[in-house]
Amino acid sequence: MSLSPRSLSKSRWLLMPVLMCASGTAVAQDSSIYVQCPDTTELHPAGGDGIKCAHLVAGDGMVTMADDGERPMYIFSYAALPDDGPVVNSPDYPGWVMDEGILAANSPAPTLAIDEDDEFFLTLTNVGMAMRPDLADPHTVHWHGFPQAAAIFDGVPDSSVSINMGASLTYYYNAQDAGTYMYHCHVEATEHMQMGMLGNLYVRPRQNKLADGTNLSGFVHQTGNTYAYNDGDGSTFYDVEYPIQLGSFDPNYHDASFQVQPLPFASMRDTFFMLNGRGYPQTVDPDPISTVDPLGKEQVSQPISSLITADAGEVILLRISNLNVTQFNTIATNGIPMTVVAEDARLLRDDAGNNLYYQTQSLTLGGGQAYDVLIDTTGLASGSTYFLYTSNLHQLANDVENFGGMMTEIRIN
Amino acid sequence: MTMTRIQCLAAVFGPVALALAATAPTPSDAAIDGVRGTSFNLTAKPAYISAPDGASIYSWGYTDGSTMQLPGPTLIVTEGSTVTITLDNELPAAAGNTSIVFPGHAVTAAGGEQGGLTREASPGGTVTYTFVADTPGTYTYHSGTDVGLQTEMGLYGALIVEPSSPAPGCTQSAYGHGGTCFDREYLFILSEIDLDIHQAVERQVAGPGPIELGEGPFASEYWLMNGRCAPDTMAAAGDLTLVHQPYNILPMMHPGDKVLARVVGAGRELHPFHFHGNHVKVLARDGDLIVSETDATALAGPDLYTIPSLPGGTVDAIFEWTGEGLGWDMYGHDADDPLEPHEDPADHGKPIPVDLPELSQMAFGGFYSGSPYLGALGSLPPGEGGLNPNAGFTYMWHSHTERELVNNDIYPGGMLTMMVIVPHWVDLP
Repeated sequence: MSLSPRSLSKSRWLLMPVLMCASGTAVAQDSSIYVQCPDTTELHPAGGDGIKCAHLVAGDGMVTMADDGERPMYIFSYAALPDDGPVVNSPDYPGWVMDEGILAANSPAPTLAIDEDDEFFLTLTNVGMAMRPDLADPHTVHWHGFPQAAAIFDGVPDSSVSINMGASLTYYYNAQDAGTYMYHCHVEATEHMQMGMLGNLYVRPRQNKLADGTNLSGFVHQTGNTYAYNDGDGSTFYDVEYPIQLGSFDPNYHDASFQVQPLPFASMRDTFFMLNGRGYPQTVDPDPISTVDPLGKEQVSQPISSLITADAGEVILLRISNLNVTQFNTIATNGIPMTVVAEDARLLRDDAGNNLYYQTQSLTLGGGQAYDVLIDTTGLASGSTYFLYTSNLHQLANDVENFGGMMTEIRIN
Repeated sequence: MTMTRIQCLAAVFGPVALALAATAPTPSDAAIDGVRGTSFNLTAKPAYISAPDGASIYSWGYTDGSTMQLPGPTLIVTEGSTVTITLDNELPAAAGNTSIVFPGHAVTAAGGEQGGLTREASPGGTVTYTFVADTPGTYTYHSGTDVGLQTEMGLYGALIVEPSSPAPGCTQSAYGHGGTCFDREYLFILSEIDLDIHQAVERQVAGPGPIELGEGPFASEYWLMNGRCAPDTMAAAGDLTLVHQPYNILPMMHPGDKVLARVVGAGRELHPFHFHGNHVKVLARDGDLIVSETDATALAGPDLYTIPSLPGGTVDAIFEWTGEGLGWDMYGHDADDPLEPHEDPADHGKPIPVDLPELSQMAFGGFYSGSPYLGALGSLPPGEGGLNPNAGFTYMWHSHTERELVNNDIYPGGMLTMMVIVPHWVDLP
């Protein structure tokens, strides 16, 4: 089944303005579209950097797949808003959010990265699925792996609340545990996740903020040093970090959704295999990838490159997570070992205090699993290129094109 | 399927509402359902099991009485005991021989006839297996004959070996180590059903055999916890509409409880088993307690938010939850109210830091109490909520291969249940 943006039916065009006008003229205080981002809190009475806020919209959009690039694929996902909007919660803000949010979905969703001890106020505005006016789906954010979670902020619609179209819900997280997590929508999870509501999320450790010269069991911390975890010994020090999220799409499922057909759950079979929402060679494109949406507007659709670069001698941190909804994946390197320091956002360390790090050339992980791995590039030749790729070799494919898929390059400067 | 989305939701969640309305006041007991002893008589026989989409699926299973069940009876034995299992083969003659293997145990088989892996019971015949349950832990048992087919058809179960005495300092433990003490325990047997195989077998069992399946491709359409697809997972144990699937799975706890999850991979697929709410600490894999190489008194299993469950493998893990460090008081206390057991004093009296939207702007889950606070009920529009009368916090525990959260072509369903954390003033059995 082939489809193009030009094949939109007239009925869709007629229904579109209903959504777009939903909140356009509202006054901010009275609007259901608003952001909660306090200047001070109980935990941070003086305000400051410990209070972090983000505003995501959830809706639909189109992405460009790595095969011939001619065939946009329909997705649901989140998007961040541009920096140049009206003052938050001003009278113009809700209308601007809808204008900017419609058909702006990204694959993967915008990366969320905060620090330990941050209070994180994450506002989610549901802008509706413009291409599916038949759907009245709410959305949520599930911070996958958040320790000691409260049900109200866990984003499971069955257990709590989800946000309707044209309205905003602010999630609150008190980030107490560094590590690599992930996030996704949990509403009708099989559908919304296959459709692409998936993103990277991680928390940096408070060890990054130690005073210059602090001695960590013989490792001397210097201001600006970054670590994956509060290791206490500098063993998770890194120079450059890359979130790498594994995933895959079933084009027939996405097309069925776009064409308002019954969704094929039983026959779901993914054929596009991706890192951060792109298949090779898109993965090594350093620039954002844009796609023309069905309204004719060019939108950034896949902002995240997976090209991994480092100067020889640097340590690379890969934050590898998997949000595949159909299968496990094995991700491998050729020629350079990965040192696994953490699994599921927890340092690998036994109760006696021994590091249980290990070296490997491959990791196998299912949906909802994550590993932090370090790659030490000491001794690697400048100008050399290595690969991070799935050793499920049939997944080195972009649908019917058999060279591509779940692979990227590690280039040593 | 041609159902609309609304029809699907009504069809699937309607029964949940009914089931939980009936079971919520009397949840399943903290002890794992099963049979205890040293001597068990199991019979392999056919029956039709039920899926929530209305499917009635021809299957094979074991029984320790007269009613076939899937999975087979959970055998609970004590460390050091000599265990004897007698197997009667009442499968259709076309199925041929059958047998049981007990991975992780040194088994002596008697009677029957010699097969590829162990001695087998021919149609109508009997075979006996004996082993010493010498190491505590969670194990599987399953057919050792025509294994791919017979386990697919349902001939599997769990074997739990309890330590000869609890670890020092507690009344229940998974192993002899004090770090394995628990307050409540639940079993999660994960498996799948490929409808095409079951239907092919059903068509051939009246014939002379052997059963021929062809070349596939084989693909599952149903994903099960303890033999049931959601939402049946959460219906009462022994529910009379699920005659051949007596085991439910609806874990419940109080804040501060240590909950032992025994996870069994009984099918042929890997499942990433995701625990909402908190990490679990892995104690053991395949009955092997994981301890530090430098200090045998220190545990060494990882803390995970997703357990990769492997075919034939088992994992024992401890789940705990107190809501510590939330940054707000989950009970909604005033600052001068007394602390609840296991409450984080640092959060006491702190209000929830955000306002929730107006009711008209939200959609509500059946397990939402109407309030963000533990143990508090709040206003909901008519017809919303209702599955959580004790206003617990509920957490989905499920396969994170989300395509397994369906019953054939219908979402939701499959390999999922809810962990219900109720406030300490609500009694749990």
